[in-house]
Amino acid sequence: MRLYFVLTIASLKMYFRNRQAIFWALFFPMLIMLIFGLLNFDQFSPPDVGFIDNAKNEASTRFRDVIDDGDDPLLDLKIEDDEEFLRDELRSGDVDAILIIPEGFGEPDNVSTVRAIFDSRKPQEQGITETVTRDVLDSLFLDIANVPDEFRVESRFEIAPAFIEGEGEGFRGFLVPGIAAMAIMQAGIFGVVFSLIRFKTGGVLRRLQATPIGPSHFLVGQMTTRLIVTLLQTYVLLVVGMLALRVTIGDSSIINWIDISIMALFGGALFTVLGLAISGWAKTEDVAAPVANIVTLPMMFLSGIFFPIEVFPDWLGNISQFFPLTYLADGFREITVDGASIVTLGPELLGLGIWTAIAFAVATRVFRWE
Amino acid sequence: MTETSRNLASAATGGPIIAVDGLTKRYGDLVAVDGVSFTVRPGEVFGMLGPNGAGKTTTVEILEGMRRADSGSAFVGGIDVHRDPQKVKSIIGVQLQSTAFFDYLSVAETIKLYGELYGEKVDVDAILEEVELTDRRKAYFNHLSGGQKQRMSIAVALVNKPQVLFLDEPTTALDPQARRHMWELIQRIQSTGTTIMLTTHYMEEAEELCDRVAIMDRGKIVQLDSPDRLIEQLISTGFTATREVKLATLEDVFINLTGRSLREG
Repeated sequence: MRLYFVLTIASLKMYFRNRQAIFWALFFPMLIMLIFGLLNFDQFSPPDVGFIDNAKNEASTRFRDVIDDGDDPLLDLKIEDDEEFLRDELRSGDVDAILIIPEGFGEPDNVSTVRAIFDSRKPQEQGITETVTRDVLDSLFLDIANVPDEFRVESRFEIAPAFIEGEGEGFRGFLVPGIAAMAIMQAGIFGVVFSLIRFKTGGVLRRLQATPIGPSHFLVGQMTTRLIVTLLQTYVLLVVGMLALRVTIGDSSIINWIDISIMALFGGALFTVLGLAISGWAKTEDVAAPVANIVTLPMMFLSGIFFPIEVFPDWLGNISQFFPLTYLADGFREITVDGASIVTLGPELLGLGIWTAIAFAVATRVFRWE
Repeated sequence: MTETSRNLASAATGGPIIAVDGLTKRYGDLVAVDGVSFTVRPGEVFGMLGPNGAGKTTTVEILEGMRRADSGSAFVGGIDVHRDPQKVKSIIGVQLQSTAFFDYLSVAETIKLYGELYGEKVDVDAILEEVELTDRRKAYFNHLSGGQKQRMSIAVALVNKPQVLFLDEPTTALDPQARRHMWELIQRIQSTGTTIMLTTHYMEEAEELCDRVAIMDRGKIVQLDSPDRLIEQLISTGFTATREVKLATLEDVFINLTGRSLREG
């Protein structure tokens, strides 16, 4: 026990004296998070708009079809009947705006007032929604009325905007937990792979083998260090996300933070063991570096860190939902965005657990001390 | 090589401190160690000489409990190396041929940590002084010179006050000054009663340090005796050196010109 403690302290000392490791584990992901968070990538996809059709006539169907044009929609319509439900969605940030089509929409001698509700914190989405609606209404009117330009009556349609203040965090709320997950993966795999291969090729592990206790105790100390670093990364990145990007962590209760810590430890253990497996298999850094990249790069882009898995084609999404990083990022997000409790995150924990078991089996099979 | 300390240690334990009998180790078709037998007396410096690939390192690593022999027996300090390698490891000190210690741990921290691995509270200052690294105690291993790295390696090998110290090519790649320093260190360690087994392919090193040497070739010991006796035996066969023996060597010239003090840092 004392030995374990001594080796862990030594390991921690070594880790925190290595400025490069600290940079890659903490400052680099923080930088990425701030850059992407401040750029606000929400604008690159069409706004999500809740849509209530009270007319259900030819005109309103046409209106819908023009906006929701198959592969390349102008707005992402979410068709609903319940205005209260949509208002909740708008408040929580799941939709960016609401459009309500009145009864008798587009009928002759009837001024149709389309009501719109916007999130006052999303002026960009408001602008896009308004412009698109106006343009489509104009062209629709021409189409329906089939009248020449000079006879157009501008007032046939009106848009009545209203505002509520949303609490949704949009892309930032999505990004921050994802970056924390990515940082754990990168530090786990690269940190372990490079230090272990150096220890292996340099003869550090062999020298430990000449002592009565052998190198396995040392590895346990290293693992403990990695888990401590994992927790530190998670806390630092989430706190920076809270302060700099105004992201909330669930209800910010101590329970949320405990749940996050548990999720982080599951992820940290998985990626450390995965790093062990890679460094056990690879004999030199030249072999290990590409392998580590082949493992991490696809996950970085396909596990829903920078953009949601839903934007991928179905076949790809069906594969990437089983990636280790997807489980960790989703788990974090459930807690930070929805305030979910760890007890409801069984699927994510199970996914991480199964991957850990696989990585452990590989690691014990391929690992050599020299 | 002090006669008294050797006799003291010998008297205390009686029989040989290392006993090897019929040791064999194969790697595929290659017989790296081929039925080697010898004994080492307590307190002596025992040398293993031989060209590269002769089986010196493999033999030593079997004795250190780092490799398993295919057949034969080996006892160190009365402990069966095959049956209880961990126990052997706890009574010996090991300096490996090419070795490294942790990055980002200082010399003093590393020595202390290794002491913990043996469950020993180490007097770091005393060990540092013994190997002349006191002024480098805060340096990282990677920042040490070649000679300092070797002395650090010996310092770590001394943390458990070993009965037997194994040194695998302790002076390879060192300059003449550093090599002479290493010789003095090895002689100082022997004078405390520690048995030393070393491998080398420098003959003048073996002559200077070893009480007895075993000459290995192709996995077998071809001769075993004291350096003086081996030379006498050769001369008695009518051998004459091709070159006239001079009263000094080129190395003496070098040392005379450049001094004995260490050049490092």
